[in-house]
Amino acid sequence: EPVSLRLHHFVPAQQNVAAHALAPWAKKVAEDSNGEVKIQLFPSMQLGGRPSDLFDQAKDGVVDIVWTVLGYTPGRFPRSEVFELPFSSGAGEPASRAFWEYVNQNAQEEFREVKLLAVHVHGPGLFHTRDPINTLEDIKGMKIRGGSRVVNHLLEEVGAVAVGLPVPAVTEALSKGVITGATLPWEVTPSLKITQIVKNHTSFAGDKGLYTQTFAMVMNKASYEKLSIDQKKAIDDNIGIELSAAFGRVMDQGDAEGLALAKKTDNNIVELDAAETNRWKQAASRVRDIWYEEVAAKGIDGPKLAENAEKLIDHYSKD
Amino acid sequence: MSNFINALSRVMAWFGCLVLVLIALTSVISIIGRALSGFGLGPIPGDFELVEIGTALAIFCFLPWAHLRRAHASVDLLSNVLSSRTTKAVEFLADLLMLACWAVLTWRMGVGMMDYQANGEVSFVLQIPVWWGYAASFPFAVMGCLVYLWRIALDVGCVATVEPSPRILQSGVH
Amino acid sequence: MDPLWLAVWSLPALLILIFLGVPIGLSMLALGLGGCWAIYGSPIPLLNQLKTLAYGQLSSHSLSIIPLFLLMGQFASVGGLSQALFKAAEAFVGHRRGGVGIASIGACASFGAICGSSMATTATMAQVALPELEKAGYARALSAGTLAAGGTLGILIPPSIVLVIYAILAEQNIAKLFVAAVVPGVVAIVGYILVISIIARLRPGTVGGQAEPVSWGLRWKALSVVWPVMLIFIALVGGIYVGVFTPTEGAAVGAVGTAIAAWARGGMTRAKVLQAFELTASATAMVFMIVLGAAVYNIFLALSQMPQELAGWVGQQGFSPYQILWAILIFYLIAGCFLDSLSMILLTIPIFFPMVSGLDFGLTPEETAIWFGILVLIVVEVGLITPPLGMNLFVIQSMAPHITTRDLYLGAYPFVISDLVRIVILVLVPSITLFILRL
Ligand code: NA
Ligand code: NA
Repeated sequence: EPVSLRLHHFVPAQQNVAAHALAPWAKKVAEDSNGEVKIQLFPSMQLGGRPSDLFDQAKDGVVDIVWTVLGYTPGRFPRSEVFELPFSSGAGEPASRAFWEYVNQNAQEEFREVKLLAVHVHGPGLFHTRDPINTLEDIKGMKIRGGSRVVNHLLEEVGAVAVGLPVPAVTEALSKGVITGATLPWEVTPSLKITQIVKNHTSFAGDKGLYTQTFAMVMNKASYEKLSIDQKKAIDDNIGIELSAAFGRVMDQGDAEGLALAKKTDNNIVELDAAETNRWKQAASRVRDIWYEEVAAKGIDGPKLAENAEKLIDHYSKD
Repeated sequence: MSNFINALSRVMAWFGCLVLVLIALTSVISIIGRALSGFGLGPIPGDFELVEIGTALAIFCFLPWAHLRRAHASVDLLSNVLSSRTTKAVEFLADLLMLACWAVLTWRMGVGMMDYQANGEVSFVLQIPVWWGYAASFPFAVMGCLVYLWRIALDVGCVATVEPSPRILQSGVH
Repeated sequence: MDPLWLAVWSLPALLILIFLGVPIGLSMLALGLGGCWAIYGSPIPLLNQLKTLAYGQLSSHSLSIIPLFLLMGQFASVGGLSQALFKAAEAFVGHRRGGVGIASIGACASFGAICGSSMATTATMAQVALPELEKAGYARALSAGTLAAGGTLGILIPPSIVLVIYAILAEQNIAKLFVAAVVPGVVAIVGYILVISIIARLRPGTVGGQAEPVSWGLRWKALSVVWPVMLIFIALVGGIYVGVFTPTEGAAVGAVGTAIAAWARGGMTRAKVLQAFELTASATAMVFMIVLGAAVYNIFLALSQMPQELAGWVGQQGFSPYQILWAILIFYLIAGCFLDSLSMILLTIPIFFPMVSGLDFGLTPEETAIWFGILVLIVVEVGLITPPLGMNLFVIQSMAPHITTRDLYLGAYPFVISDLVRIVILVLVPSITLFILRL
């Protein structure tokens, strides 16, 4: 008997990931199941709640599948949060493969209440600011919207003012000077019109970004169990490391488009040299230490997890 | 008893507005701090999150008052056409519906609060446990249910009838 | 039953509940819960969803702007600012033919500049101006129509709660919407003044006798009392637009500023403050009950796939952009006779906005969104003064029971005509709405 599964997420249907990862996935599952498994997409939180409610909606069976940002529920996924640490993660596709592997080795219990379909990250996060950042000192006093909890710590560590704002408010706040900068990957800069508003972009030497965010696509367990063997197969054939990599790839393509747009508008794109990047990494190491202490209180060996994550990212980046 | 319920709702409404005034002052101080960030001042950290918690708290304090004053937007166009018995019946039905809906919502809110207590989720900037926000509003949601129950008791005449409240139309948004 | 048909049939059920007198927000909440339950086929998913629904909706940062605007309006009202505004307007135009009516419109407009709600504007100004209009010998129908229409300026002139809700639903810039609303608001004022002038000329008996002109000294004196109102308006809308603060912060600044202005006038006695608190409480609860009810009802509609089906169907018909726009505006005008503005916006913008934002009117996507927002604002505003369900008419009736329903309707219709003319003008000439933003 054909089933309909509801996939709920927080971005508009035409947005990059929704259009180039979620919709194709839904189509693929439908094809592989000969129309037995129909995935109904509900963009823009149409089925209610806030983005931070998504994970629980899948867990509790309010919907069948969600695509969500793990950082929207700080404190819930401490093991997965390693990937958000400054200068941990790089390009989206290899890092997403590494993240899938990492979660399976270290963080399965954080997803024990759901069926995990994919996890991924976005490409290297960087600064987009009104005034240029050429050295660590330049950021002092800037009012910056941090892209994750950990980045906010880093901002405060280096003397910036971390301003808490939801993503849709960034454009307006930036254009009005309520904030003077934001940390974002290139991928979202076109839709947020960032390159029209601020003219300076600062990234770092090497293949690691300032930060990343962690994402997951998860399914309600009972919804999965209810499926027939063939239907389960249609799902199982389309999840895991390859789906994670596909999400990462879409992020990377988005990054390339965002960067191209910034170049086309003749914006000032700075890549700090290795020496300067090292100064930032030095500052970030203090944030790492704070994070290690935080998770130690939860009985988690932070340094060991970080080392494991780094190894996996290096492994997949070589391919 | 009726006086007590009325007074309770009224004091809750005042308290909620006090919270609103505090929210407004927080924002104003935050703007000033941000404007003077060159002088070593800054916005109130996490003002965003405090505003959210405060707004919910205020609204939970307002809901019983509005119900008791029959201030919720409604249409009494047919009240001249319908018999007073029908009107009373509709009013009773509406009050029952209000109690039923809010009893469920409050019950589930309590369950949600315990979920957040168990899963350790915190807010983005201030790292306040999410369940604290729920805990601040929850008692007022419960008091709301008691007020709705009281309203039904009034409808069925179990308790001494009080003067019908004048409809407050100076309020509203439209 | 098929979810799609369930959703279709729920609409008449909603209207029946509302017209029986069940509060609007509660009707949507109850039907929405029932509908979700029916589509889920089990209460469990719904019960799980409700764990975060109420608190999540009520703790929204973007919506926190609404209670602050309501508080601001109440401070202005109890603080006596409304009285001062009317006196100032009357000093300038009160001696003209139809002058007291025109002064009422002017006072409504300036009160609307610091109040985000039409019903609050209507109620406040009716309290002040209705006795003056009757004293001046105005016909009841004209007095009632003037104040009901003037009250709609409460949402037309920024700040405006309806625009805030639109901005949130359509993810548009609140500041730009506020600024875009200014010129259409002025067009509305001009239209209403024209209506009164024409009636005064055609039927002089309806506007009573004429008063003596007031000396310029007294005029400036009356005006000097109301400058804080203008200052707050400029600080609020300008501050948000230029970027000194976010919209929510702007509302906070407005509330604090109005409280100070009212206090300086000696209007903030303890009793007055508590009165303002109580009115803010009931108005806020009323809005959020509708917001919550509409949220649940919208989940039900989304689950039923009705909006998607409708959008898909419209997309296949090959209608021209203007045909779709007119159809939507006419839908709002008709629905506005039976539904309140807030519920209409909350229920329909999630459906209509994606349709309209994909249409090509020769504008940028952002301009289209802002222009559409202002048009929607105006058509729902007309609903406030059209029978049978016209919220502003209800307000006047509750405050002046001696005015008959017939007088109310007779008084309102000339203003409705001016509204319709304004809609046609704004649809045909988008740059009236957009030119300030293009500067
Ligand atoms: Na207004
Ligand atoms: Na109407």
